[in-house]
Amino acid sequence: MSSLRNVAIVGFAQLPVVARDLHRTSPEMLYPVVRQALADCGVERDAIDFQIAGSVDYMDGRPFGFVAALDVMGSWPPRLDLHLEMDASFCAYYAWLRMQAGDCDTAIVVGHGKTSEGDPRRVLNLQLDPYYQAPMGLDPVSTAALQASAYMARSGVSDRDLASVAAANRTAGARNPENQLHTAATPDELLKTPWAVEPLRSGYLPPVGETATCMVLAAEGKAESMCDRPVWIQGVDHRTELQTIGARDLTQSASARLAAEQALAMAGLQTASEVDVVELFALTPAEELILCDALGLDAQAARPVRNPSGGPLCGYPIMSTGAIRMAEIFRQLSGRAGARAVPGARRAIAHATQGHCLQHNIIWVLGTDRRWA
Amino acid sequence: MANEPPRDPVKYVETHVYLPYHYVAGDSRAGYLRALKDKKILGSKCSKTGKVFVPPVVNSPESFAPADELVEVADRGIVTTFCVVRIPVTGRDLQLPYVAASVALDGASVSIFAPIQECAPDAVRMGMRVEAVWKADGEREGSHEDILYFRPTGEPDAPQDSYIHRL
Repeated sequence: MSSLRNVAIVGFAQLPVVARDLHRTSPEMLYPVVRQALADCGVERDAIDFQIAGSVDYMDGRPFGFVAALDVMGSWPPRLDLHLEMDASFCAYYAWLRMQAGDCDTAIVVGHGKTSEGDPRRVLNLQLDPYYQAPMGLDPVSTAALQASAYMARSGVSDRDLASVAAANRTAGARNPENQLHTAATPDELLKTPWAVEPLRSGYLPPVGETATCMVLAAEGKAESMCDRPVWIQGVDHRTELQTIGARDLTQSASARLAAEQALAMAGLQTASEVDVVELFALTPAEELILCDALGLDAQAARPVRNPSGGPLCGYPIMSTGAIRMAEIFRQLSGRAGARAVPGARRAIAHATQGHCLQHNIIWVLGTDRRWA
Repeated sequence: MANEPPRDPVKYVETHVYLPYHYVAGDSRAGYLRALKDKKILGSKCSKTGKVFVPPVVNSPESFAPADELVEVADRGIVTTFCVVRIPVTGRDLQLPYVAASVALDGASVSIFAPIQECAPDAVRMGMRVEAVWKADGEREGSHEDILYFRPTGEPDAPQDSYIHRL
């Protein structure tokens, strides 16, 4: 692997995830978060070279709705800017690429969107093809249930196994004040929750919520003065697979597997089990187990610690859920995780996904040390 | 039949997208809308530059500083730029031609969009003084449509340098 530029996460701010913020519009939620992230880094807005936002206009119901965020991101004098219709984790990847290209040293990466103002299940149904899948009424919960069903049949994983995975997330999540759900739950409690779309129970699915997030990235040379303990990007890879769900083997995630192989190789690691913490963007316990398989992780093992944040099952703000996985790793590796700190954590994986049934996957390998000399 | 939309179900699929939304006005904007009911126009003042933005914003888009102090501005001001609309406008029932103008309200640092009426289109000019014509008492409900339009006041025109930075 040729030498790349060392880039670090140096700051992150977010609002606690809530079902609905009745007092603020999406840009109004975002503004204090951008201010906070910059203040934490001890810099003014002019110190940031590049800005990028993740949001989805269909969620807003406004064509080009993303431009509303420009006025609260400090876009004057004219800035280098980009918007992705993707989770902010994918935006961070683009900012990282721009830094590798050498045309910026610092970036803010924001995620925002008020899911409560529209109907996410209807919106996400429209991701599917308009001739066959979308009119059939498929939505992300139904496609996730198809995937869970296939996975359970192939792996022998039981309803109780899914409940255990969900309960582990909920128990960890009770220690995270930023989460939408703060209450721990046992497998037995979750097994009593009603079917949402069988084989998925309501207790296995996250509440959709809203927040605003801002991550600050900086290249070596700038990062050190912006953060006492920068968290360095040691490897990253993003892969996608077919849009036609029926043409994919839903019991495994080929794109997550390949992205993990590539990102680990970039980081100079052999296996994912060499890291201390893993944050997975899994919207169901079945997805979490499929991702464990893809990363070659034993789902029963104590290390790496999985989803110490509580994971997406404790709250699913669309467009920020992946960024929050990176944020959790930033907190864990920079001494900011408080009561849920994983002892001795020095290296970790943050994952994000988009699309139905784990269609796109990005894997970040993050660490306390610089990767390249 | 030549003008009928294609009906052949093999060649075309009709798709209807139904997506309801319920927007939160936000506390800041709600305060502004509520004030319109009392014929008051509120702006917010940049804590760094003192510029007044109408409608109120949480921060100055220009300086990035908070702009959370609400101030009242006048319901009259200056036409800073305008155009004459001669083609139908989607979603508004306005008699053509009509004048769409930017009006810098007295006390505001930026202009707002406003239709100009009670005046022939070719009599509108930059620098012209105008005032808001409000819906009658009891009919205002806290919406932008509480201001029906702006009309000339008959005062002398404002000099260009008084509004050139508020276009």
